Amino acid sequence: MYKVLLFDGGVYRVNELYELVEDVGGFIIQKTQTHVQILVTLAIPEEERDVIEKKSQELGAKLTEIPLGGTEIAVVAPTLGRHHMPHPVCDIAEHLRRYGAITVVMGLARGKGRKSAQISAEEKALINEYDAAVFVLGNFEDCIRKEKVRLFEDIEIPVVVACGPAIDTLPNCSAVVSGVCRRVERMRRAEDIAKLEEIAEKVCKVVEERRRVIDEDPLFVHPAEVRQRIEDLPAVQKSLRPAPVVLHLDGLRVKIPYHEWKDQLASIDVYGRKLKEIAELSDSRLDGSTLIKIYSASRVESMNQLESKELLRDQASAYAKE
Amino acid sequence: MIVKVEGPEKFGNESYVELFNSILLDIGITRHVEAVKFIIKPSDPFFLISVKTRKAAGKIRITEIAEISQGKDGTHINIIDENYAPSLISLLWQLYGRDRIEQLSRLEILCKGIDEKEILEIAIDRGEELRKKVLDALWRLLPEGFKVRYDLSSESVITILATEYEMKEEWKRLAEEVHAEMEVLDVQGASL
Repeated sequence: MYKVLLFDGGVYRVNELYELVEDVGGFIIQKTQTHVQILVTLAIPEEERDVIEKKSQELGAKLTEIPLGGTEIAVVAPTLGRHHMPHPVCDIAEHLRRYGAITVVMGLARGKGRKSAQISAEEKALINEYDAAVFVLGNFEDCIRKEKVRLFEDIEIPVVVACGPAIDTLPNCSAVVSGVCRRVERMRRAEDIAKLEEIAEKVCKVVEERRRVIDEDPLFVHPAEVRQRIEDLPAVQKSLRPAPVVLHLDGLRVKIPYHEWKDQLASIDVYGRKLKEIAELSDSRLDGSTLIKIYSASRVESMNQLESKELLRDQASAYAKE
Repeated sequence: MIVKVEGPEKFGNESYVELFNSILLDIGITRHVEAVKFIIKPSDPFFLISVKTRKAAGKIRITEIAEISQGKDGTHINIIDENYAPSLISLLWQLYGRDRIEQLSRLEILCKGIDEKEILEIAIDRGEELRKKVLDALWRLLPEGFKVRYDLSSESVITILATEYEMKEEWKRLAEEVHAEMEVLDVQGASL
């Protein structure tokens, strides 16, 4: 399984690190250079961490683990109104970013109220595009247990619920963090920070679990490898949107319009195959974006076998006709 | 401030009291609220809040908050106490219309073609100001989805009952009882 790490050091001899990462079968996810300092986000096989750590020490750099690196997480509030939205939701999103995730804050169109709170199929489909979702709910147990649980009923990705009352478990969600309620100020007291840490810890755990599930039937290529190839596209290079290519656990989000760029994206070469042969490309519900879901190695293998069988059958029938 | 909360859920009750205190602090009217009573029933569902405020100290004359001078084109008002600036300008707009009132800068107002004597008569009702602020606090506090509302208001008490769908008569009676109870409440030696 891959571990995502952050290298914080100087540019001097940094190429040695890149080579080592490549040698151990890892990838560079992102490089951010400021003068002579450089931040490198890298993904390496778990068992090779010691080697990279040793190299970082040799180069005088700091190596830290960012457990949510290469993930995109949705933080969902019942509405974007001031009653639900501002403080806990933004603070949670901001805190998850410190763990390396790219977070998106989302308010439901009709999520307010008790019985009237609802989520549309479109909203569910949009949330399902992310790696995990954090639902920030209210202060009353009765309301959450009886009504609000419907909001994440058919969500396929792992859901973490942050709410006020002390609730141990809820149906259809992977973890619950209690003690986060409506407020009119930022979460900056020591106990608030401890709550934010607790949420991040739970999110890290569910993401880790999802990584393990994916690792049981590994992807054909790591999303970071596809990213390196996609970044060469002129549309991506010219894109002014923040983070034009976002890594997911099982694919990527490329922030260029699907209908304009699907053919170019589909024909990108990845280890001698076209991208469309190893991944599913689709139009994202997020405007002007393309979603890429990479197939597992076993699926690509079985597709190959199927193709070769069909080829053989065609050849046999052609031979029989002759 | 006397605070009383009724409702089946301890955490929800406490968090709403804390939220209300923070909102009052934010708006700056903590000292003006004498008593508050909440009845929160999430299973019904309804949310009732009744607030008793202190009596505001009468009206404030315009000369206490601004300097007035007569010019060729009208009366010039130079605000000294900025706290009253928004309410003064909205009162002037209400009295003379937007065409005749021009805000020259943050603290300067020109009242076109209006005599100084007329302006000197203006007074701002402190009670009305407080009432607006209390209402603002209540709108911020009330659950967003509870759009069906029944409100009662008297000189020193504001009671709002909010629910999601149907407003029941029994809840209305309850709100009226709470409102009456708050009106006669003696804050000095009382407990709710």
